[in-house]
Amino acid sequence: MTETSKPRQLRSDVWQTVNERYPGSMISKEDLVPLASLDKPLSEAKLTFISSAGVQPVGTMPFDTVHPVGDYTFRKVPSDSKPEDLEIHQLKYPTVGAIQDLNVIFPIERLQELAADGVIGGLTDNFFSFIGYNMDPEQMELKLAEDIADAVVKDHADIALLCPA
Amino acid sequence: MQRALEARGIPTVSLSVALDVTEQIKPPRAVFLPFMMGHHFGVPYHKELQRRVILEALDHLVDAKESGEVKFPPLSWAKARKEGIAIKKALDIK
Repeated sequence: MTETSKPRQLRSDVWQTVNERYPGSMISKEDLVPLASLDKPLSEAKLTFISSAGVQPVGTMPFDTVHPVGDYTFRKVPSDSKPEDLEIHQLKYPTVGAIQDLNVIFPIERLQELAADGVIGGLTDNFFSFIGYNMDPEQMELKLAEDIADAVVKDHADIALLCPA
Repeated sequence: MQRALEARGIPTVSLSVALDVTEQIKPPRAVFLPFMMGHHFGVPYHKELQRRVILEALDHLVDAKESGEVKFPPLSWAKARKEGIAIKKALDIK
């Protein structure tokens, strides 16, 4: 697809707007990392889902949505959860759709169906959830990303689908 | 986060509604959707669209040849909203 025919994002200049308001809060990379390869068909691959939408099981410690620097913890979300078992603690994206149908941002039922249909080999016991509006990119990269990656390995994921809200 | 997972040998794909952010952070594999923030998988009750978005991402995870490759599925927010309104009407949901 050529540069000129790229579809446009609905909200323009997200990176620049946030970076101007909170200097140094946005990550920018010059390099590309090598791709890991999948050594089995999708129909045999165990998938994990990682979301920054602030979705968490009812009754777990709510994400701290008002901390001035952010919340660098994550929650495990059992992959067999039903939408009514979950709630959202997040302030920074429109939840109008998610309140009606959580699957618009955390498609837990669709992923369960894809596993049941054999399109993917299965789901990890847990999905992983955090809030993405964090002001310290170093803590995000060096602590939160590493903590979640370690937890994903422990859950024997073959592939990961990520959705930054 | 994707980088930390790829370094551990786990292939990843992410969904984006902010192409400018994606171009800055250069994730290994990404799928861009011209959708509203917080609605990466489409609109409420539109199961077919939600499933399609996931399948587009999984296809990209398998097919992407180069790191940093972004896929642009031919989807539009206007069409998704229109279909969503029709689905809600059929389900008698406001």
